[in-house]
Amino acid sequence: MLDLLYPAILICAGLIMIAIFTSLLAFRFGAPILLVFLAVGLLAGEDGLGLHFDDATTAYVVGNLALAVILFDSGFQMRLASLRQAAGPALALATVGVLVTAGLIALATHVVLPFSWPESLLLGAILSSTDAAALFFLMRVGGTPIRERVRSTLEIESGANDPMAIFLTITLVELIRFGSAHGGISIPGLVLSFVREMGLGVVFGLIGGFLITKMVNRFNFEHGLYPVLVLAASLVIFAAAGEVEGSGFLAVYVAGLYAGNRPLKAKATLQRFQEGMTWLAQIIMFLMLGLLANPARFAMIALPSVLIALVLIFIARPLAVWVCLWPFRFQSSERTFISWVGLRGAVSILLAILPLAEGIDHSQTYFNVAFIVVLTSLLVHGWTITPLATRLGLVIPPKTGLVERVELELPGSAHHELVVYRIVGNSPVALGERVPRWARPSLVIRKGQSMRYQYAGRLQEGDYVYLFAAPRYTRLLDRLFGSPARLAADDDDFFGAFVIDPTKPVAGLAQAYGAQVPTADPELTISRFMADRLGGRAEVGDRVGCGPVDLVVRDTDDEGRVISAGLALEPQAVVGPTMQTVRALLRVAVRIRQFFGGKAKGSRAAQ
Amino acid sequence: MNLSDLLKPEAVIPCMKAQGKKQVLQELAAIAAGLTGLPEKNILDTIQQREKLGSTGVGHGVAIPHGKLPGIEHMTGVFARLVRPVEFESLDDQPVDLVFLLLAPESAGADHLKALARVARLLRDPEFAKDLRATNEAAGLALLLAPVNPQSSDALA
Repeated sequence: MLDLLYPAILICAGLIMIAIFTSLLAFRFGAPILLVFLAVGLLAGEDGLGLHFDDATTAYVVGNLALAVILFDSGFQMRLASLRQAAGPALALATVGVLVTAGLIALATHVVLPFSWPESLLLGAILSSTDAAALFFLMRVGGTPIRERVRSTLEIESGANDPMAIFLTITLVELIRFGSAHGGISIPGLVLSFVREMGLGVVFGLIGGFLITKMVNRFNFEHGLYPVLVLAASLVIFAAAGEVEGSGFLAVYVAGLYAGNRPLKAKATLQRFQEGMTWLAQIIMFLMLGLLANPARFAMIALPSVLIALVLIFIARPLAVWVCLWPFRFQSSERTFISWVGLRGAVSILLAILPLAEGIDHSQTYFNVAFIVVLTSLLVHGWTITPLATRLGLVIPPKTGLVERVELELPGSAHHELVVYRIVGNSPVALGERVPRWARPSLVIRKGQSMRYQYAGRLQEGDYVYLFAAPRYTRLLDRLFGSPARLAADDDDFFGAFVIDPTKPVAGLAQAYGAQVPTADPELTISRFMADRLGGRAEVGDRVGCGPVDLVVRDTDDEGRVISAGLALEPQAVVGPTMQTVRALLRVAVRIRQFFGGKAKGSRAAQ
Repeated sequence: MNLSDLLKPEAVIPCMKAQGKKQVLQELAAIAAGLTGLPEKNILDTIQQREKLGSTGVGHGVAIPHGKLPGIEHMTGVFARLVRPVEFESLDDQPVDLVFLLLAPESAGADHLKALARVARLLRDPEFAKDLRATNEAAGLALLLAPVNPQSSDALA
């Protein structure tokens, strides 16, 4: 065994390196990057260079681990605001959509393959989930900014339908393995175990997310240990939920969602580490699945598989989307896009390993069909999504161009972080826009020389600027340092939604908005009030917080007096998402329960 | 938060005729008075008081007059599409043809601001404003502004 130590490491690490380098090619030719990883696996595998790997159980275990890592990260990256915006349609797609898709694929399978109904349904379940990772790469790495609601819907769907598809697949595998020997499976029992599994997943996820947040913020570990702690904790949550027959995948996703939306120490470090781990998990998963496949055996099953893929792409997915989205307000172009982006990926192949590992009839066929369907989907979808989005007008014009920025958390402070921007040409600051004072521009590094911001004059391309700013304002800063969009006077985010006349008494604000401003002196003008709070001189972009609203300096005269002010309604506070998270997730649970409500009685399914 | 909670179908005026800002505000106040049963004069005073702090014309032909009104029970919106755009002292000096009046109870606090932000965000979307301008019947406008299905935008808000 030890003789194999070095060759084994050489091969594994070498394959990962090769996969990473081929990603350069993928970006160049616009090929779907996951397809490239899969291809590397296939080429190195049994029917390519001859690497022999057929341990389905190991593959399933590793695949599960990788998926847990990926799902935790995708929850961690998901902003609560996006979740709120798209949770309804996404959950409909992740539940009803999965059922409809699985049913229609089963129908097609029953026609083109000699499968019984439970077997056809199993294949339907295997192919019913869209792939979070594949989608993420196409939407983000592909660099096409898709309209937020559509993107969020697709992203949440892809994360949320994995637990559903996994539940269906496992149930069907059990059903096929044990048949009716255990008294068969009753619909109420199924529903009950579904609710139980998902409910436990959510509960474990919330508790786990809460504990992760507490652990990270409470204890002082060696800096490098935080990401490892979080990784280990997420796997503990995954396994603990799974151990009591809850959905581990839902649990890690929810835990990631919770932790990622809380103020967290070392967040930037965590994000960077997880980004890397997600890549690694992706690569390992796809390489391994590629290795596991025997493309030589694909030929005999190719035709029916491609037929099933076509049914999936052109009939099952659009129909499922149509059914799920009709209660929601989507434009037809958005609906078309969501129908088209039914990307299949690693999860489907992973689920297809389960029959192999459990050794039920036709197990090799499930795997091969699933593999070919995923390949077809990656090929067809991968190359068409960006052009389609452009044609349907769903691509948002880039507000900011390139921003180069490094964030560092500061020890001892939860409210500020050190942000470093590299100045790019054509950005508003390079064209002379001032950096607002609240960003505390501190240091400029120009051609290796460091100087204080005050003495640096106009910022030049290639300068590095060091700022201290509250995390909630970095979005505004991106606007200033991005290129080439100009900072317009009607930029609501930056200057507030309403214009305020600063010569009016400040007491009016208290009356109109409940702003926390002094009301005793009816003569005190808004301009004076702002100047006082800003220490005499105001600068464009300065913000004065007064309770529920922010006052923003829109314009000043030579003496630094405010001559135009804006009123921002949402001071973009990041405080207090706890209750909202809990409420949002509770509502998710309620919805799932409502959806299956009434039927949920009877015994648990035979296991 | 869904706008359908605060925008009744009968509060959508598809083709309002008005000569100027003052008349627009008067017409809106009259409609709001009908909806809430409060005196028109109180309503007009409230929104004009707010207007004194700076025009609520937010640019691109949109205005969102608003205020806190003593005695009103819950947040009330009125939307009007003007036949002819009127001067509104907007920031960008563009005449205004889409007006959303939002009245909130004294106690509304954060909800008022949230609703206001939502209306502002909605109307600043140029595509959406284009849709509103292209629709000239009340039902269609109401559907655009506040989709009937309670699940749509309210899912988890």
